[in-house]
Amino acid sequence: MVRIDVVDNHGQFTHLEQRALRDIGVDTALLDNTTPPEEIEADGLVLSGGPDIADSGRCAEYLDLEIPVLGICLGMQVMAASLGGQVDDGEYGGYADVTVEIVDENDPLVGSLAPETRVWASHADEVTALPRGFSLAGRSDVCAIEAMSDPDRDLYGVQWHPEVAHTEAGEEVFENFRTCCE
Amino acid sequence: MVDAEQFIEDAVEELREEIGDANAVIALSGGVDSSVAAALAYEAIGDQLIPVYVDTGLMRKGETDQIRETFAYMESLRIVEAQDRFLDALSGVTDPEEKRHAIGEQFIREFEREARESDADYLVQGTIYPDRIESEGNIKSHHNVGGLPERVDFEGIVEPVRDLYKDEVRDVARTLGLEAIVAERMPFPGPGLAVRIVGEITSEKLTVAREATAVVEDELESYEPWQAFAAVLGKATGVKGDNRVHGYVVAVRSVESRDGMTARAQELDWETLQRIQSRITGTLPNVSRVLYDVTHKPPATIEYE
Repeated sequence: MVRIDVVDNHGQFTHLEQRALRDIGVDTALLDNTTPPEEIEADGLVLSGGPDIADSGRCAEYLDLEIPVLGICLGMQVMAASLGGQVDDGEYGGYADVTVEIVDENDPLVGSLAPETRVWASHADEVTALPRGFSLAGRSDVCAIEAMSDPDRDLYGVQWHPEVAHTEAGEEVFENFRTCCE
Repeated sequence: MVDAEQFIEDAVEELREEIGDANAVIALSGGVDSSVAAALAYEAIGDQLIPVYVDTGLMRKGETDQIRETFAYMESLRIVEAQDRFLDALSGVTDPEEKRHAIGEQFIREFEREARESDADYLVQGTIYPDRIESEGNIKSHHNVGGLPERVDFEGIVEPVRDLYKDEVRDVARTLGLEAIVAERMPFPGPGLAVRIVGEITSEKLTVAREATAVVEDELESYEPWQAFAAVLGKATGVKGDNRVHGYVVAVRSVESRDGMTARAQELDWETLQRIQSRITGTLPNVSRVLYDVTHKPPATIEYE
């Protein structure tokens, strides 16, 4: 069985990420974000959301483990900030209902959701410049970079929350990520 | 989703093993979580379980009678009338966190006395998974997590539904035959109507919150909301029968949700909203306005404080 661990950045929905993985039949555990990278034995990682990028522990180091990583909300921002992209306060907070336009239908993570998908979001900050090697996968009227991908390194980020019940195709995102991890 | 039958079997076994021949107490709130925890514990240890229901005066309309009826099969059930003591404890308190704290403290005081009298070594709690997460994350404090164990020297605390989500608890409740609890009761917060009143709690505002919530629950039944209620926000001017009324502003909230972690404000038709408005202002002379809350969670929470 594929094993995908969830790194806890103290987000409200962290445990729902674990539940979503459990519900699609993936072996999963919750890890503290200060876990030494050499102790991680998963086939893939989810970096959870959370209130503060300063409190994201050793998340940046996990990007060098050469396993697929899915950054959610703050998890995506950590990815961008540590790989040469940029994170700033958005002009317009993204809360609850957002319609995301999928711009790359071949994207391994969100391509299958094209042309658009309704998601549930909860963020003030956002990624304002893509990190090197990444391409844009989704955008919305309230946030220019809703999803980003680097399929060569299997690094993916979504600004919304695929793990909450109100996100329309959330389970599909986790299914697609599992495929990346197999 | 958890397999309910297997879960019940394991939970009963765990409770039996952990509590053995000792006595245990559980605080019944009337909600599905503590009801399921109590039913599991009763199945495991029978009358060694002393269920205690504290009527805080912050309960919904008819709630105490319903509890008495649902749990009549547990002979050891105790009902504590503590309405006045809670109002005293809340007098002058306006800060939401302080309010929760005052309720938690008073609750512990009531429960501590009952626990001592019942000679219980164990405490059973209906804590579910999101309660733990929200408390750990400091979003809101849940009064059924922590507090009590420091005051009463229990040998152990058992939380049989600690890893379940609300929808899973409901599933277990159904399997346990607690149909009434599932069908007729929406989730209700531990601190009760107190978190549906912005600012100080008075018996007058409690009456408004209680009666208005009963109207909302009744009118919105067909929408099958996950949670629907009325909250008391403050005062505003109105006019009733040529007289100026400086009355309460009542907010109506109705949301759909799977697990309470996110919620969508329900789309209600104008006629329904108008009927709610008319029934609330028509039967409660001190209400001048009724509003409908259209905010999802996030950015709002489901309850007000």
